[in-house]
Amino acid sequence: MISIGVLFLAAVAGVLALMAWRHGERAFERGMQRAAEQAAHLIPRMVCALIAASFIAKLMPSELIARYLGTDAGLSAILVGTAAGLILPAGPVIAFAVAATFARADASVPALVAFITSWALFAAHRVFMYEIPLLGPSFSRLRLTSVAILPLLAGLIAFAAGWFVTLAQPGHL
Amino acid sequence: MTTTTEVGAEDAAGGTPERPPFRDPAWWGMLARTGFGAGFWGFFAFAIAAGVACYAVIGHAAFIGALWADVGLLVRMAPRIAAALMVAGLLWVMLPRDRVTALIGAESGMRGLVIAAFAGMVTPGGPSSAFALLAVLAGSGADRGALIAYISSWAILGLQRVLVWDVPFMGAEFSVLRIVVCLPLPIIAGLIARRLPLTVRFADAGRETGR
Repeated sequence: MISIGVLFLAAVAGVLALMAWRHGERAFERGMQRAAEQAAHLIPRMVCALIAASFIAKLMPSELIARYLGTDAGLSAILVGTAAGLILPAGPVIAFAVAATFARADASVPALVAFITSWALFAAHRVFMYEIPLLGPSFSRLRLTSVAILPLLAGLIAFAAGWFVTLAQPGHL
Repeated sequence: MTTTTEVGAEDAAGGTPERPPFRDPAWWGMLARTGFGAGFWGFFAFAIAAGVACYAVIGHAAFIGALWADVGLLVRMAPRIAAALMVAGLLWVMLPRDRVTALIGAESGMRGLVIAAFAGMVTPGGPSSAFALLAVLAGSGADRGALIAYISSWAILGLQRVLVWDVPFMGAEFSVLRIVVCLPLPIIAGLIARRLPLTVRFADAGRETGR
């Protein structure tokens, strides 16, 4: 499938290849060598991680989780949203389909914000498919520790924002 | 662009730049060992375990369906990954390292984090290009705080993802609220990363950064 994104990437690659060609010093060949070495490291691991992630996503009980994300659950809904995002190893297609399922089940806005933030930051398939092969496990450790509180923070800010909005204009969010 | 790159590009290549690697059987052997080394078998075992669990729970037909969906996904991803790795490889050779260090290096302070977070927001494409670019920045003198701010910003605020996924699925109102709420988060993550006492050893070339 050829999408706009791929065409754009290919165009950038073409321009860079031309620049490398004119740059001399075998820049093009060295760039391709680096690309091949990264591909060798990345692709076998990525294929395994992708297959594992799709199986795990199939096992996720999203209907069950949706029940704990309601507005009446308040702050604990933010925790459940964070946890749900944490364990969802899937790309945006599935993640946003799940988020829409949650929204239809009347999940609160802070819980949805926490869920999407948590999924975006922790998506396990991305860690295993790209981050560990390309940057190494110690970088993943640093990143996951650094962003650990972010989903909760996002949920809490959304909670506070919703509270202020409700105060300012009752009945309208 | 031409004069400043020469010094940085030389040590970036790492190996032996005089020998054309594509005709060297030792290089191909090294590639095979890189791809199917000890780390790979951990991933392989994980996939098998997930497959067995899934087979037991969802049954034969759904299991085969999931596998075929994976094959389709991989075929669609292949051109994207090839292009992303090519871009990253060429940038790796040509990116002026001293300028990257000045912009988002260890001494760049708050300004470096803001620049990195903004760059993450506007980086188009999926994880294949974002993480490949992150690896280039990691090897080009970017500081750890900037790296964390960049990739966090791409993950939560990436504009392409917002336009393609957030708005259609969740509605514009929710998406705007989510972006405003999350705007400061990548910078906070970068500040935390600068203070954490963790040592980072990058996957290739064994570069270490204590900061």
